[in-house]
Amino acid sequence: MSLFKLKQLFLYLLLSILLLVGGPIAFAEIDQHIYDEAGLLSEQEISDLEAYATEKSQEQGADFLLLTTNSTEGQPIEMYMGDFFDDLADESGQENAVVLTIDMGGREFYVAGFGTAETRLDNERVELVLDRVEPYMVDGEYAGAFRETISTADRYMEYRPGVNPESFFLKTWFHAAVALLLGGGIVGTMLYNSGGRVTTTAATYIDRDHTRVTKDSDRFRNKTVTRSKIPKNNKSGGGFGGGGMTGGGRSFSGGGRGF
Amino acid sequence: MAFDANSGKLSCPNCGRQDDIETFPEENILQKFAPEEAKEYHCENCGAVLLTEAETTATHCSFCGAPVVLADRLTGDLAPAKVIPFTITKDEAVAAFRKWTKNGRLTPRGFMSGDRIKKMTGMYVPFWLYDIDGNAEVAAIGTRVRAYQHGDTMITETDFYDIYREIDLSYLKVPADASEKMDDELMDKLEPYDYSDLKDFRMPYLAGYLAEKYDYDDNELYSRVESKIVPYIDSYIGSTISGYSTVSYTNKQINANKHKVYYTLFPVWMVYYDFENKEHTFAMNGQTGKVVGKPPISSGKVAAWFIGIAVSTFAVLKAISYLVGGVLW
Repeated sequence: MSLFKLKQLFLYLLLSILLLVGGPIAFAEIDQHIYDEAGLLSEQEISDLEAYATEKSQEQGADFLLLTTNSTEGQPIEMYMGDFFDDLADESGQENAVVLTIDMGGREFYVAGFGTAETRLDNERVELVLDRVEPYMVDGEYAGAFRETISTADRYMEYRPGVNPESFFLKTWFHAAVALLLGGGIVGTMLYNSGGRVTTTAATYIDRDHTRVTKDSDRFRNKTVTRSKIPKNNKSGGGFGGGGMTGGGRSFSGGGRGF
Repeated sequence: MAFDANSGKLSCPNCGRQDDIETFPEENILQKFAPEEAKEYHCENCGAVLLTEAETTATHCSFCGAPVVLADRLTGDLAPAKVIPFTITKDEAVAAFRKWTKNGRLTPRGFMSGDRIKKMTGMYVPFWLYDIDGNAEVAAIGTRVRAYQHGDTMITETDFYDIYREIDLSYLKVPADASEKMDDELMDKLEPYDYSDLKDFRMPYLAGYLAEKYDYDDNELYSRVESKIVPYIDSYIGSTISGYSTVSYTNKQINANKHKVYYTLFPVWMVYYDFENKEHTFAMNGQTGKVVGKPPISSGKVAAWFIGIAVSTFAVLKAISYLVGGVLW
């Protein structure tokens, strides 16, 4: 009896140890999301954003991280960010993350997607995120920039990979407009035709034996050629990116801009 | 004796006797008046004075119901050249009209029962049919545009062509209703009639129906026919110029003249329908059964259709965007 109880207790302990160790590995969560080395945010902002990032990170199964620095020590911003994330990922085991890096020294910012976020927030979507974050960066609202990065990336990551999340085909206003136009069009046609339709056409009374072209000519006259440069769909504001590989061998999607 | 739309013959509803119209002696059914005679008609059957409107050419005696054809209003200049006889009898017309009311998707429920026909009148409506001859001379400039990419340059090549066409035009038997009473739009919608049933006019066709003489002669109506065929001509001209990206006309001269006119009577069933204390008038092509006329509209049904279509479209689009994008909102 007591032996049995002991065995049970032992099993219990073993199980809880396994859970404790296994838990963080399985759900690999990072408890710190903001690494404000440049000191851009106030205490209040950090605690607010930390709460927001934690909530959204849990929803997405990928962590939203903010890294700020005054200097990238001579490296390109994506390399600096890559080293930072290699360390963090090795330490925490979390491979899925969206990282906003702000370099005050080079006045650049960079958004990267790691792990599942590499496909769910691919290069095209990163560009769309950058479009939305850029105004905050220019205004120096770094808290707003991170908040916007989280909310936009969070929204985009819901979409199937490869789909443009800003495509108007997926917008509710587009669906509503098409529905109203179609409804109005069909009912309008029904109303218009309720009194009987005109069913005569241009062919009804034509005398095919005597209606014909007696003379015709199609003479070439002149030709004009216009050339126009196709604007390269470069990232606005001289951006850079397209993702890459960290020193630790982690590939990521990404893109950055100056501000 | 009255014209029977089923057999195309004159038949007596009492004894069943049938006579072929082509061989039937006109004296048997018509009364002739000398032009100077007072315009007062008497029913041959009961002798009562007939009360008619000035343009009526065939009617019923209001006392005994016998069909009367007023022959002097159908001779000389007023003699129709052609007629399309009724092929739809009154019973068939009633049935066809009831069927039509059931198809009204926007009409109120009570209207759809189709059982409030107050009166159905078979009427020969005067039309002018125009054979139109003409020609058109058209000059235009057409472009063919080719766009292609070369490196990072978009090259657009536009070839300009001088287009010239001379066209002979011919349209046969374009109708225009010559009765002032009849609504032009309504009569236009009754078209087309099948001209293979077009017969040389004989008065007995009118027996048992109402008929009217024309209010407008062929010259007065020509402008209306012209406005009807100009779009036809334009679309024919357009069809002779193809293969261009854009066409802009620099000169378009259309000459259209009436070549021949036929004064023709077309069969029309007029349906007077009572609904919610209002009388609605409909016209039915007495040859093809096509019904025209403004039915009452139920705003509830209009709203229901609109909402139904809009909501289901919205749902379908949402479903598609969910399948494609993986997100509902």
